[in-house]
Amino acid sequence: MKTPFSVLSAVCLSAVFLFIGCKPKPNGTEPGGSTEDATIAYVTNGVDPFWDLCAAGVRIAEKEFNIKCEVHMPTKGVVDQKRIMEGLLAKGVAGIAVSPVDAENQTPFLNEVAQNSKLITQDADAPDSKRIAYIGTNNYKAGRALGKLVKDALPEGGEVIIFVGRLEQLNARQRRQGVIDELLGKPTQELGSVKFDAVDAKNLTAEGSKYTILDTRTDNFDKAKAKSNAEDAITKYENLKCMVGLFAYNPPACIDAIKEANKAGAIKVCGFDEQDALLQAIKEGHAQGTISQQPWEYGYESVKMLKNILNGTMPEKKFLEVPFLVVTKDNVEEFWKKKKEMAELGKQ
Amino acid sequence: MKKNTLGIFGLLIAIFVVTAVLNDKFISAYNMQNLIKWSSLYAVMSIGVAFVIITGGIDLSIGSVVGLVAVVLAYMMKVKGINPSAAIITTICMSGLIGLVHGLLITKAKIQPFVVTLCGLLIYRSLSRWLTDNQSLGPVPLEGDKGYTNLEFINQLDFIFSGKIAIGSFNLPTPFLFLLVIGITAALFLNRTIWGRYLFALGNNEDGARYSGINTDNMKIIAYVICSLMAGIAGLLFAFELDSVQPAQTGEFYELYAIAAAVLGGCSLRGGEGSILGVIIAAAVIRLIYNSINMLGISTHLEFGILGIVILLGVVADEFLKSYSAKRAAAKQQEP
Repeated sequence: MKTPFSVLSAVCLSAVFLFIGCKPKPNGTEPGGSTEDATIAYVTNGVDPFWDLCAAGVRIAEKEFNIKCEVHMPTKGVVDQKRIMEGLLAKGVAGIAVSPVDAENQTPFLNEVAQNSKLITQDADAPDSKRIAYIGTNNYKAGRALGKLVKDALPEGGEVIIFVGRLEQLNARQRRQGVIDELLGKPTQELGSVKFDAVDAKNLTAEGSKYTILDTRTDNFDKAKAKSNAEDAITKYENLKCMVGLFAYNPPACIDAIKEANKAGAIKVCGFDEQDALLQAIKEGHAQGTISQQPWEYGYESVKMLKNILNGTMPEKKFLEVPFLVVTKDNVEEFWKKKKEMAELGKQ
Repeated sequence: MKKNTLGIFGLLIAIFVVTAVLNDKFISAYNMQNLIKWSSLYAVMSIGVAFVIITGGIDLSIGSVVGLVAVVLAYMMKVKGINPSAAIITTICMSGLIGLVHGLLITKAKIQPFVVTLCGLLIYRSLSRWLTDNQSLGPVPLEGDKGYTNLEFINQLDFIFSGKIAIGSFNLPTPFLFLLVIGITAALFLNRTIWGRYLFALGNNEDGARYSGINTDNMKIIAYVICSLMAGIAGLLFAFELDSVQPAQTGEFYELYAIAAAVLGGCSLRGGEGSILGVIIAAAVIRLIYNSINMLGISTHLEFGILGIVILLGVVADEFLKSYSAKRAAAKQQEP
């Protein structure tokens, strides 16, 4: 039998929930209405220093456009992201910018979100969903720019190997294909319809190209694995001339392995993103360069676009391309300074 | 060498020979150095968890302890500018303390090891991220970094934890020396001291051990302290080896490598069985499989599959050998 105390507490709790439930939606805004007290949300696909740089852009835009934006970083994949977004809908946020973990399979859920809030995607797209627009880098184009860096590093041609966390992600595959197409002199493909070489394709080369792409090795985001992959490549391929790291931690792992094998200079490194160790290596001449997606632009543009949507101005295009930046020895100092500022700002 | 260690040693030799035949660069000095280095790093963790598994317990928090120690070390040195030796002593003490708390919760509060260490896994990972605002940190400074004190000493530490000692043309990675000292000490402790016997007795039959006068609680606590201490030392080794600590990722899932090595090396998850040499060889087998996959150019997507199959085959073969030799012994006894 229930005790009077537990019955009483159940009644009290229900009363509290009822009261909370009856409260008018605090942050919901009608289209075209005021956005003064509206709250929007920026949802990442995980936890990473990259997202802190994005958060810096969110903070800048918050002030500039006078809107409040919550930043959420789900720790564990799809489930956590869904939980967070459901919570945001329950709170009645006016708009959400999300980087879907698994776009294809999350589409029904994203549609549900789009019905109840203004939804845009950033960093990774969910093209089949009812999201209003997508903000991101053209990863294929960025891959081609990375390929150009490799060409600058190896004007005479040579053997190249690619390292990446995982190839299940569309952005990783697009980057990789961009590098391959650029090095093998293939024509430029359209972002939406890129044809991919097999993920385990080996010794890719083409007539008239001076480059051979030996292999693509993955490490599942384990940095120790990334480093041992680089070491094993040094052992296996005597004529290896250049390592290409597609995820942020890959190039520093390559640089470490090369240094320890006393091959600095003999094997070049070209990278993606902007980890300090890579920037340092670019400065010292141990790495050719990197492609930065300027993550802060993601955060900034997301907030800006949501603010405009809430004010009734829909984006003209479905895809807003955030320009990437090629960082080499020439501009590394200036870029590094900006990155430090952004990292500091993103922490707050 | 004991019979159960012989099986895993055979597996090591078999994979080694097959890879060496298929790719001649596999046996190059450089590759052997790398193999020894990675095997040592993972074996240190595995030795720790072997102690806990011998008592019939489990520790799921190893990866998070590795991460936390690496993070706290880099945080103290880089952000707070604390003297490196103080940072190292603090992190070692911290890992010992974590083990002590695990042990006390398991023995005194009678909470299951799985639950205690699972909560540990979550708590330490979260602490690492909170402490650093989830920013990557390196224990060894980059140009222009401020906050470090005693740079020369940090570089010496870098050598101690991740350097190479030239022996002729072979560069022996220093983590191997850590493994050597830890491995010998652990083996002596388990096989040559009374406490080692207690640990096995406790794992075989806890009530029996308690009734025969062994302070089983204390022995269990010691096992958890050793486990977390080893994870802490591995954390230092990983931090210096990778020169970069990522609060959300460093050490993630490493408990599974450690537990796999301990089990493959002859520790029974039911407790009461295990050998340090077996665990070290098993840790080497796992690293060797990874290395072979790269050397033979097998798709990295197949890694976990191959690892799983090899471990499974190893354990099945081991069980088969055991039951076969038990039957033979029984048959011999029956002979007049």
